[in-house]
Amino acid sequence: MAARTKKYILKMYVMGQSSYTQVLIKELKNIFPPDFTDYEIKIIDVLKNPDLAEEDRILATPTVIKEYPLPVRKVMGDLSDKEKVLVGLGLFFDGPEGGQEAR
Amino acid sequence: MKTLEKFPTGIAGLDEVLIGGIPKGRSVLVTGETGTGKTVLLNEFIYRGITLFNQNAVFVTFEEKPQDINLNVAIFGWNFATLIKSHKLAFVDVTASKEMLTEIGSEFDVSPLVERIRYAVKKVKAQRVAIDNINALFARFANKDSVRRVLYLIEEALKEMDVTSMISMEVRRDKSNESFYGIEEFVMDGVIELELRQGQQQLIRNLFVRKLRGTSFRSGYVEFEIADHGFIVYPKIPAHLISKKTSFKIRKSTGIRKLDEITGGGVPQGHNILISGNTGTGKTTLGMQFIREGIERGESGIYVCLEEPVLQVEKTAMGHGWDFGKYEKEGKLKFITTSLIDVSNDKLLYQIVNAVNAIGAKRLVFDSISSLMSGTMNEEQVRQFLLQMTAFLKSRGITSYFNYLSAGNFGAAKGQLLGAFETSAMRLSSVTDGIILLLYVERGQKIKKMLTVLKLRGSVHDKDIYQYEICKGGINLGEKFED
Repeated sequence: MAARTKKYILKMYVMGQSSYTQVLIKELKNIFPPDFTDYEIKIIDVLKNPDLAEEDRILATPTVIKEYPLPVRKVMGDLSDKEKVLVGLGLFFDGPEGGQEAR
Repeated sequence: MKTLEKFPTGIAGLDEVLIGGIPKGRSVLVTGETGTGKTVLLNEFIYRGITLFNQNAVFVTFEEKPQDINLNVAIFGWNFATLIKSHKLAFVDVTASKEMLTEIGSEFDVSPLVERIRYAVKKVKAQRVAIDNINALFARFANKDSVRRVLYLIEEALKEMDVTSMISMEVRRDKSNESFYGIEEFVMDGVIELELRQGQQQLIRNLFVRKLRGTSFRSGYVEFEIADHGFIVYPKIPAHLISKKTSFKIRKSTGIRKLDEITGGGVPQGHNILISGNTGTGKTTLGMQFIREGIERGESGIYVCLEEPVLQVEKTAMGHGWDFGKYEKEGKLKFITTSLIDVSNDKLLYQIVNAVNAIGAKRLVFDSISSLMSGTMNEEQVRQFLLQMTAFLKSRGITSYFNYLSAGNFGAAKGQLLGAFETSAMRLSSVTDGIILLLYVERGQKIKKMLTVLKLRGSVHDKDIYQYEICKGGINLGEKFED
């Protein structure tokens, strides 16, 4: 990964570009503390990129993949459940100073 | 009822059971317990489509990884890797991913899987899709409604893309999970069930078409094997499809001039003759002579060889000066053999049908019926088998001998020549058009051999008893036997 500039890199697979997609993006951003910006989220539309969905073996949407840091983790389903998303992706945020990787 | 267009699977024997194939553009569910051959059937459905019909395919795999499938099918000589490289085959890999996946709640959109299938179908312009197997969906999705929804969406997509598909599902012996899945209403345009049961010495595989919406198929269990090159299904020969082609005017020479005379010119074409006699009376010789005579007259023959090894028959024939090995090489003669333990009617018939088709045979010798009985078939099964076989042979106008070991004929005393003709043989008599009896008779210090034509349907024949000897060159029919 050459041009990695952020601390966290996430991918999110969605179906189509709808207002629901915007809700999902908002929910995903919401897992990070409000003042934390050291992350990147790539949005992939399955309808436009079924080949990528095949590569990542996506079963359902929304699916969020934490690409970096390793290990790769996937979460599928209700993103509004912030705690479960964080645990699923192996991310913990303790206090206001920022993120801590899962062990 | 409007009949749907059939779509041949290309799997040996299966399309005959399905009377042409599965409904085009529809889905057929393949069910069975673990180890019954579902995956092989689906793999072959794909492979035959590509290689026989130039129909590209998509294989959706839930359990086995694509690279494992490639290895597994290689034992049948199927090279999936090459098909993928040449864009004839595409996998949709739905096997569990190595990364940890957490499901949260049960509210998700399952259409991405459908989109992946759609994408793969478009990519290779597939006409066939196989999905192996949907049980894994239940492991993948905790929520049953999601499974039903994904199946429904897949079905809709497959129909919309006009692809023909086979979908496998594992069932337990008690079949309790079938209705539990509740998928019948959308998936099943047809159901093929695979079963495995224990025979006396080996496992016997059965296939059963439970349903084939909007089209006809043959009901009942048929046997199949998973052989070196994949599935071989042994379809039953339906009796109602058979028209009789026998002619009393056309006679087939027995190869023995005197026997031809006694029978009024030989065996009527399409007749089947039961050759009944004790061990050593010359049933095999009579059969070999009949086959040889046919071949010399330009009629190919089939020799069903269950009594002794083919090599031994060939050696015996050579002793008479008949080169059966040469006939075989020239495609005028075909031997059929089978194991007598767990002998399968369907398979044996299938072998006979194939052999007849292969060389256009006009004569057949079955040596012998009694070896079927000494195997694992009971008398009724043998009778059923004979009915099916004779119906088929008649439909092709094939004249045949069925040898039958009749142990009771030895040492018949004066006036008792026919007394010992066994009742089981008499029961077979209704199936046969004629009976030639070979028997031993004690006369003084000697045992002599006697032949008589006991029955010959639709023909006037000599009812006398003749002495005969087995010499080099075959049976030598002698004088009338007078007491």
